[in-house]
Amino acid sequence: MYRETGLVNSTIPSGQDDATLLGLVDRGDEYAMATLFDRYSKVVYSVALRVLRDPSSAEDILQEVFMQIWRNPASFVASRGSLGGWLAVVARNRSIDALRRKRPSEPVDDMVMASNYNLAEEAERNSLMEKARAAIVLLPMEQRKTLEMAFFDGLTHSEIAEMTGDPLGTVKTRIRSALTSLRKAFTA
Amino acid sequence: MSDERRITSEDLALFAMQLLPKEEMAEVAAVVASSPEVRRELAEIQGDLATYAHTVDMHSPPAVTRERLMKQVAREKKAIPIDRAMVAPAIQGTAQETKGRGGSVFSEPAAAPVADSSEAYYKGVGGIADKDYLAEEETAPRGVVAKVLPWIGWAVAAGLAVVTGNLYHERDDLRTVAATQASTLDHVTADAAAARQVLDAMTDSSAMRVTLMPTGTAAPPPTGRATYVASKGTLIFLASNLEPLQPAKTYELWLIPAGVGQNPIPAGTFRPDAHGNASVIMPPMPKGVEAKAFGVTVEDEGGSATPTMPIVLAGE
Repeated sequence: MYRETGLVNSTIPSGQDDATLLGLVDRGDEYAMATLFDRYSKVVYSVALRVLRDPSSAEDILQEVFMQIWRNPASFVASRGSLGGWLAVVARNRSIDALRRKRPSEPVDDMVMASNYNLAEEAERNSLMEKARAAIVLLPMEQRKTLEMAFFDGLTHSEIAEMTGDPLGTVKTRIRSALTSLRKAFTA
Repeated sequence: MSDERRITSEDLALFAMQLLPKEEMAEVAAVVASSPEVRRELAEIQGDLATYAHTVDMHSPPAVTRERLMKQVAREKKAIPIDRAMVAPAIQGTAQETKGRGGSVFSEPAAAPVADSSEAYYKGVGGIADKDYLAEEETAPRGVVAKVLPWIGWAVAAGLAVVTGNLYHERDDLRTVAATQASTLDHVTADAAAARQVLDAMTDSSAMRVTLMPTGTAAPPPTGRATYVASKGTLIFLASNLEPLQPAKTYELWLIPAGVGQNPIPAGTFRPDAHGNASVIMPPMPKGVEAKAFGVTVEDEGGSATPTMPIVLAGE
């Protein structure tokens, strides 16, 4: 069956790093693809679900994002940062596009991400989540809310300003300050 | 940042989240493309956003999503060029290359270990075992018979599935009918029990029967009360204080029809008990006969086809 179905390099490379898995995916290794799915499907689905608030739509995004990897694994290269982080942001962007009922506004291939986290390890993923949540809790309420509205709800700064009654500049500053605080919390 | 006057960090954050208007997105994209410094800053912001994305509450996707993805992956198999397959890292120690269709080369895994690992692969974390879909991908043997034979199996399977589905629905329907009938039976049984209790009370010779009269009145006279529903032919007759009968004699109830020239219809014979009470409960009567009056006569035991005068009780 394997010969006829074209499965190649059929080990279970669950311990492989992301770059190796992507290399295997590039060569058509379905096991490597399954391993990447097991590794990152939770965060991709969770982000999509948070944005879309609909399990069925979130499942569609999950499928779309991972099929993007299968079809074009070279769209992500290790020099662009961590695959887990990249997938999380791609899932968010695709979900926002779906929310706006429009086609993806830019190719995901173009995204470059500065990240020092090795999210291939579950322990590191969990550590990142805990630290990020702890840092977010410490943000001023206005910053936290504004960032949430922009990132997860996909509201533009104009829409946020209209909803909150805050000046446009204030909204932009809050978003930037929230992200800066988040970064500082990790570099401290 | 060289373009700091025009492109601020705030703008870059919005750009990274794709929240700027279309024109500004294009403007910032142009700056990003031309400035390494801006690209670095944008990369930092993307990293921040990735971190922030991980603050979301985590939910595991349904297990079926994995199956769905892997089916799609299997459908979109990749044809690996010979040179790429040759230069790729040798992950499999025992893999050997087999030339596939269309000039592609597929690596053939070692047989036994792969068969085991494939189970875990298709079951996945969610535990859904389904590698059968790979059969869809298998190349069918050439020739008419070889092409048709597999479909016969599928046709038989489909037929069995339809029959099974029908049986399942029939079983469900029968269950519903049985449940309905059981419920109806329960109600009927309860009603019958209540009706039986009424009849028992009316016909029980040991039951206490009292005719209420104005105080100071002498012994009450013989009395009969007929309740009749013409449309149903239902008749209930209760009598009290009847005179005892001679041996071989019986009282007989008569229905006098409302029409002109119609003979009285016998409605049953009865004998009073020791207290002078008697009843005729639902004797066989024709339906739809309007009654003008009821009467009671004394007849020979066994009853009579025509009333014998005198009429001892009568009522209209």
